[in-house]
Amino acid sequence: MVNPRRTALLLGTALVAGGLALASGPAMAQKKGGSLVYANVSAVGTMDPHVAAAVVDLETIHHVYEGLVEMGEDYRAAPMLASKIDISPDGRTFTFSLRKGVKFANGKEMTAADVIASFERYKKVSPNAPALGDVAGMETPDPYTFVIKLNKPNSLFVEVMKTPTYSFAILPAEQKDKPARDPDLVGIGPYVVSEWARDSHLVLKRNDNYVADESAKGPDGYAGKKTAFLDSIRYNSVPEANTRVAALQTGGADFIGALPGDVAKRLKGRTDISVLSVIPFCQATFISHAKNFTNRSVRQAVSMLIDSEEMMEAAGQVWDRNPSLMFKPSYYFSDVGAAMYDQHSVDKAKALLKAGNYAGQKVVLETNTNYAYMRDSSQVLVEQMKKAGINVELKMVDWTTNVGDLSKGTGGWDMTITGLCSGPLLGPQQWRLSLAFAQNPDDPVVTEGYAKMFATTDAAERKKIWMGIEKYFIEEGYMMKVADIADLRGMNDKFVGIKPYYMQRFWDVWKK
Amino acid sequence: MRMLRRLLLRLGQAIPVILVVAVLAFFLMHLLPGDPAAVIAGPEAGAEAVERIRRQLGLDRSIPEQLLVWLWHLAQGDFGTSIIHNQSVLQALADRMPVTASLTLVAFAMTIPIGIVLGVAAAKFRNTWVDSAVMLMALIGVSVPGFWIAILSVILFSVTLGWLPASGYVPLSEGVWPWLRALIQPAAMLALFQIGFLARMARSATLDVLDQDYIRTARAKGVSEWRTIAKHAFRNTLIPVVTTTGIILSLLMGGSVVIEQVFAMPGVGRLIVQAILTRDYPMVQGTLLALAFLFVAINLMVDIVYTWVDPRVRYD
Repeated sequence: MVNPRRTALLLGTALVAGGLALASGPAMAQKKGGSLVYANVSAVGTMDPHVAAAVVDLETIHHVYEGLVEMGEDYRAAPMLASKIDISPDGRTFTFSLRKGVKFANGKEMTAADVIASFERYKKVSPNAPALGDVAGMETPDPYTFVIKLNKPNSLFVEVMKTPTYSFAILPAEQKDKPARDPDLVGIGPYVVSEWARDSHLVLKRNDNYVADESAKGPDGYAGKKTAFLDSIRYNSVPEANTRVAALQTGGADFIGALPGDVAKRLKGRTDISVLSVIPFCQATFISHAKNFTNRSVRQAVSMLIDSEEMMEAAGQVWDRNPSLMFKPSYYFSDVGAAMYDQHSVDKAKALLKAGNYAGQKVVLETNTNYAYMRDSSQVLVEQMKKAGINVELKMVDWTTNVGDLSKGTGGWDMTITGLCSGPLLGPQQWRLSLAFAQNPDDPVVTEGYAKMFATTDAAERKKIWMGIEKYFIEEGYMMKVADIADLRGMNDKFVGIKPYYMQRFWDVWKK
Repeated sequence: MRMLRRLLLRLGQAIPVILVVAVLAFFLMHLLPGDPAAVIAGPEAGAEAVERIRRQLGLDRSIPEQLLVWLWHLAQGDFGTSIIHNQSVLQALADRMPVTASLTLVAFAMTIPIGIVLGVAAAKFRNTWVDSAVMLMALIGVSVPGFWIAILSVILFSVTLGWLPASGYVPLSEGVWPWLRALIQPAAMLALFQIGFLARMARSATLDVLDQDYIRTARAKGVSEWRTIAKHAFRNTLIPVVTTTGIILSLLMGGSVVIEQVFAMPGVGRLIVQAILTRDYPMVQGTLLALAFLFVAINLMVDIVYTWVDPRVRYD
């Protein structure tokens, strides 16, 4: 399906997507030097890789820190600081051989002592520490070998470790006891922090002690051989979208993030500026509260009312149809959700309401004012629900309230909407936390399903188990997928090597 | 000496006001729904991750306990540490105050002369096209939303004409002209509303004075019209205007919240907006407290200037 909004953008500007190469010819010659200014919607909040979750933080952090494995270009786990990973046949012991000669930004060589100290710190400070809950022990038999032993098999453990959110980055051993959000900014990545004015800007400069992975052919997602061509990268916080666009137009910024589709139109006619469309970036999904919204038939009735096109067009969103809770490039993508996807059928909804003996009980739909696609999709759904005869109350709050209510199940909502990003991209291991949004983390379908998935080393079997979990969440009406949505970014074409990727990276990017 | 004692007394009287502001700020923030731990954990984190952060930040304690801990630290001069930025609140304020102070003072420097001149001119040329034009401008100034006019201004002066930077702040240490150039546009947008407000006030005050007997006497003695206004009317016009300027200074600081957001200026206004959005309790509470101090100080300054403008007013 061709999205009219995307078409409009294509006509107006040079739109770069799907890994399309940029300029070619003599201008492609790689050279060091120059600086890039990146204006994004908010400022870097923390540079602690073990606790950071906001995309703005993570984009910066992954220029400064590296982990044993990182997500590759295809979003699968790829070795970074590990040169080799051996997994025991029982799926319980993981032996990481470390690359030799890798240095921290302070010049100290990284050894297994730093790795084990980083994992110890992670267990203490990271919100994602439960990911290491099954670790029975960690060992460093020699300075270049790190071994993790698990209590029970987990065939996805290496995939767990690639997460960019709550990164398993390696810090110097001296940082082991540093509290959350307060480590010294010493990493292994191609850049180092040279200036940081909180809530304003952060400047990275090239890490002269960086040791690239020469065994790799070139950059591979967040892994591979990285080369810092730019002398410095400045991250500016510019909350207002119009101002970000103005900064790009006037040379105050070279790259801008979180570009609303309607505002992007102002870049039409500029031959020196491109709009980069990263799709899929997140997915818009309505979520039902399992403990509050207990009538299965009513949940399913609401599912039948979702109208992807109307919702996304109302929000002016660049989007794509996808019935799956996984993005299309993912190995776990399937069409198990197709039967309930984008039905926009008031008749089907009414039939389900009748079957469920719906007697006008109120359904509270919570949404937020900050994200247009969440707000507008909710407003469209509310009208559809009213048409079907559902007594619905739209509760509009700000994003902070919404995300808190979603995580904790508070606020008295029956349904809400959110944007799920890394789970659909990185696999079931990443999805696990988000499944708990439905407020039934102890649901045996989830707990037993995940236990089986982790236990099997057969990839096809894992996919089958995941499809079972996904089907259950969709058919029960716990997750109501709307669409995959894009993240638009604007860039000045004087920079070469910028490719669409989930989170922006500026290594192997140079100035013409 | 008496005046100094009086000033100290006024400062002392401000303490309970500030204390009430502190407690109110604390309760208002905690009454707001939303959880900073959820912001830190990120949108894809579950309840367990959020709870873990709540414990790390001490947010799992009861509200009265959190209030007492905060007041105890406050009594020792510790405004707390930002939950989101992990930075001392006082340090954060110290870093951002030069931006807001610069913006406010440049806007103030634009507001006062322009507002007064326009107001006096409108009064002098009462019921002429000058009066109508000034009042129309004033009406537009006070009616147009600052946010909207600021975006239009950026499109015109930055994008189309390329005269001024679209966003950002340049510290004074990098040169007076770069500093001023970055401030002209945001300060003008900030001043717009206040110029309209002050022009109406100055017009009204001037009209009142121009009707007084001593002005009629001056005119009867043959003193030129401009000399009558400049020497006899203007100083008396200033009395209500001085009171207004204190309010204007406070309003300019308040208005910086919107302007700093639009022009991406890392000042106190943007700090407080972001802190409210992310429920950064210590930052909001500390910033409100500091602003309360500042407003008390501005009012005190206005009182002092008042005694200079109007010798009839004395603290003794």
